[in-house]
Parts: sequence; C-alpha cells; structure tokens
Amino acid sequence: MSALDWVVLLVYLVAVVAFGFWSGRGNRRIEDFFLAGRQMRWWAVGLSVMATQISAITFIGTTGQAYTDGMRFLVFYFGLPFAMVILCVTMVPFFYRARVFTAYEYLERRFDSRTRTLTSLLFLLSRGLSVGVTLYAPSLVLSVILGWSEPATILLMGGSTIVYVVYGGNKSVIWTDVVQMAIIWIGIFLCFGVAVAQLPPGFGLRDALALAQTSGRLKIMDTSRSLTTPYTLWSGLIGGLFLMLSYFGCDQSQVQRYLSGSSLTQSRLSLLFNAFLKVPMQFLILLTGVLVFVFYHFHPAPLLWNPVEMRKLESQAPAAELAAVHQRYVAAAARRQGSAEAWVRSRTPEAQAAYQAAAAELGAARGQAVKMVEAINHGARYNDTNYIFPSYILAHLPRGLAGLVIAVIFAAAMSTLSGEFNSLATATMVDFYQRFVSSSGSDARELLISRLFTALWGGFACLVALRAGQLGSAIEVVNRFGSYFYGSILGVFLLAVLTPRAAARGAFYGLMIGMAAVFAVSRYTAIHFLWYNVVGAVTVFVVGLVITAFSPDPPAARRSQARAAA
Amino acid sequence: MSAKAPSPPADDERVPVFGTWPRIYAAVIVCALAVMALVAVFSAFPY
Repeated sequence: MSALDWVVLLVYLVAVVAFGFWSGRGNRRIEDFFLAGRQMRWWAVGLSVMATQISAITFIGTTGQAYTDGMRFLVFYFGLPFAMVILCVTMVPFFYRARVFTAYEYLERRFDSRTRTLTSLLFLLSRGLSVGVTLYAPSLVLSVILGWSEPATILLMGGSTIVYVVYGGNKSVIWTDVVQMAIIWIGIFLCFGVAVAQLPPGFGLRDALALAQTSGRLKIMDTSRSLTTPYTLWSGLIGGLFLMLSYFGCDQSQVQRYLSGSSLTQSRLSLLFNAFLKVPMQFLILLTGVLVFVFYHFHPAPLLWNPVEMRKLESQAPAAELAAVHQRYVAAAARRQGSAEAWVRSRTPEAQAAYQAAAAELGAARGQAVKMVEAINHGARYNDTNYIFPSYILAHLPRGLAGLVIAVIFAAAMSTLSGEFNSLATATMVDFYQRFVSSSGSDARELLISRLFTALWGGFACLVALRAGQLGSAIEVVNRFGSYFYGSILGVFLLAVLTPRAAARGAFYGLMIGMAAVFAVSRYTAIHFLWYNVVGAVTVFVVGLVITAFSPDPPAARRSQARAAA
Repeated sequence: MSAKAPSPPADDERVPVFGTWPRIYAAVIVCALAVMALVAVFSAFPY
C-alpha cells in the first residue's frame, strides 16, 4: 500500500470512530442504548439493515465467486423481496405492537418462558461464535495480502468497532452503518468503473460480456429441479425465501435494527427499501467480479491467489515439477489471451471452441498447482476465492483508490460486527440478565451493565478471531452451526404468528425435532444448504401442530394470553 | 420486567406513495419480478 492509501484508510478509521461517538451521545435508558430510543427514520434503518447483512467476506468472497464460478450466486437473494413483504405483513406488526426489545421476548408472551430462553440461547450461541469468524475471515485475507500482522488486523478492526458501540449503542450502530453503507456503495461503483476502464483498447463492455458468457460466467438462471445442485432458480426462490425470512424475521441482529424505527410505517419501509435495492446491489458486485475475470485474460494472474501458500509451494514442492507446472500455466494463459481476442473478433464456433479449450488447459494447469499445495498441506482443501479481489485491488487499482477499497472492506466488516455486538448484548441483557439476575435497577446501572455486555461480546469475538487460526475445520462447524436451527426457529415464529391454537409444548418440542431433522438432512443427504431452512421450518410447523392436537388444553388464562399475543 | 413499555403505540403515519400497504407490497413484488426478468435477459442476451 502506498502512503496515500494509508492516509485514506486512517482517515476512514478515525472519522468513523469519531462519528460513532458523536452520533451515539445522549443515551439515558436501555431503550436508547438498544433501540436508539425508537426514533429512527426508515432510510437510516434500511441502510443499517443492508450494512449489517453485507459483511466483508460477502464483499470480497462474492466478487471472487463471480470470478471462479460466475454470477449464479445472485439467485441466493431472489427470495429476499418476497420475504420482506411477508415480514411486513406478519412479524413486523407483531414485534412492533408488542414493544419488545428482542424477537424472542415475543415468544414468551405467545408461548412460554422456556421457548424464549431456548431460542435466545440458540441465537447467542450461534451468533456469538460466528461473530468471531466474521472478524477473523477478512483479517486473515488482509493480513496475507498486505503482509500485516494478523492479530494486529483483528484488534484494529474489532477494537475500533467495540469502542464506539460500547459508548453509543444502537444509535452509533445505525448512523455509522449509514456512513459505511455510503462508502461501500461508492467503493462498488468505483471498482465497477475501474474494471470497465481497464479493459484493453478496442475491447468494449459488450466484448467483455461476450467473453464472460462463453466461459459460463453469466449463467444465472439454472432451472434444474435437483435439490443437490447449488444455486438453482428454485433453491433461490424457495430456499432463499425461507433463509431470508429466518434471518430478517428471527435473528436479533436484524430484528433490532427495524425495531428502532420511529413507527410501524418506518420499520416496514426500512425492509421494503432493502427489497428494492439488495438484488441490484449484489448484481453489481458480482458483475465487478466477472469483469475482473475478463481483466485477467489480458494481464498475468498468479498461479495461486494466496501468496503465503504460493511461497510455501515454492519452498517445499520439487523445483522441477513446480517449474513445469508454472511453464504450462504461463503458456496456457498466453494461448487463452490469443484465442479470446480471436473469438471476440470473429465470433465463429471454431474460435469459441479454441477459446474454451485454452481456458480448460489453463484450469488444468492451475488444478495441478492446487493438488501440489494440498499435498503439502496433508490433503487439506485449498480454496483461494477470497484472495482474488483483494489481490486485484492492490496490484491494479490507482494509488488512493486501493486504500479506499481496503476501507470499504473495513466498513463492510465493522458494520456487521457493530450490529452483532449490539444485538448479542441486548439478548444477554433482556432475555437473561433482567429475567434471572436482576429485574430492577436504576437506568444508569442498567445502561452500565448493557455497555459491559457489549464490551464482553466484543472481547469474546476478538478472542475467537485470534484463536481461529488454530481451530481449523472447527470454523466450518461454527458456520454450519447456525444453519441447523435457523429454519427451525422460523418454524416456531410461524407457529406463533399463523396459528392462534398452537401450544407452547408443540413449539418447544417441534423446535427440538426440527433441529434434529435439519441435522439428519445435512449429515445423510447431499441436499444443498439453501433447502435446510425449508426443512427446519416445515418440520417445526407440522410437528408443532401435531403435538398441539394431542396436548391437553391449556388453562383458560393461558389461552386468552396466547390469543392476545397472536 | 423493566424493558417493557406499558401500552402499544398507534401507527398513525400516512402510508406513503401508493396510499395503501397492499398497493406498496404489490409494487415491490412487481418490481422484484421485473428485476428477475431483466437478469434473465441479461444472462441470455447474445452479446
């Protein structure tokens, strides 16, 4: 990074922390600290919802995925607009009118306290662990690409976020998210613009798209009905719908954002704002990744994108074998460039076949190198998708702009972390501390304890991130952990909102059986993960209704209380 | 529990732009379908 890049990054960090402090002043009660006093406007909440969802690894991983696999990941978001409409009709009015702090608090009113405790505990477990991975993943990529110290990167990213969230709570979270989302949007447009501007002379955007299309990078709509094929149109529409319903309707890190709206109208508008913008935004990010793919047809790309693994390969692999692979790779790259230019000029089937053969040869040469590095790492799977975009930024973006895009990666990470620290503290305080430790206390004392919980969760995330390097495959377990019960929790909320007759016993045991069903599906079938939430939600809903049908009638008082909540 | 306010609030804000929520939801769904149709055209267009 040049000095100018450093200046840009430091200005971003100092400005965002200072703005976080300034915007978060004036907290007097925990309602101010956790829900920004329920005073926020729709556009601020909407941008905060968007910023919380887009993590750093989403930003750099999605562009990398477009490079390696094309744009079909876009269908992942196809269910989102429909989920937002369903939530605006169902969950949001219930949450808002119940004046709850957490989504799980509503379940106590509708069912019983143990359902609330279990769902909140599941949220704390999964989100508490995954927030560490959210911090670790971009820190690892940045430290490898930029040569920074990994612990220092984790502490810089995590520490600067903790500082302003502990002081300002949700007000700081939302207002810094607004700024960070603006920076992310600017970064996305700049990256897209630079990628277009860097196409070779005489090679227009249409040629680039033609090249991407012939290499399969523009294939988005896969109408296969297979449940095992990733990112089909149906898994995006149906599985994506359930995933988004779970995430935006039952995950406290998102529910808390729209509970901060100044009215039900403002909360609804904040979600609908995302329904309009999310798919176009992801489209632009993926298209940028595709343009980077085209860019590397005309510029030398490294054999492996992870420089640490590349150095390991150079020092540990047999030199003659590696030299042969490298020679094959360079020759294939030159052949691919020539055949790409020939195909774009002629557009004949023969030229297309020659291009595709050259691209396959390049892939085979790289595959050889990947096998070598996997052999050195005792068979551990090698994946460098997340390193592609940061490598491109650093090597090919103009001075200053590279610093801005690194700041965008920081902004994407910090906006997710801030919302998660705040929501974890809220669930701990409202669902556990106030119920099991102390239900009465002065506003000042409750505020102090809320800040303490925020700091503790921030510290825990840093600790997990610092240790994540030694966790190895445990990180994958942590990432999968949430998917086991995300859909099941949605099933409990569907029971609560859609069926006034559903009983607490049905919800509680339905949740257990739903999680077991998802675990069995993930363990014993090859069904793609986007369907897990459908399996979980439907199982809980059906089992909950069956158990309710065979349960003794609850007392009259409990029945009327449940009806009022539903 | 001190975290709960006593009474539910009235939502008396006027529904913006389309006047009613069902119309807004319909607009969102139509827009989402239009975006998906555009994406399909983008994906299959012979460049």
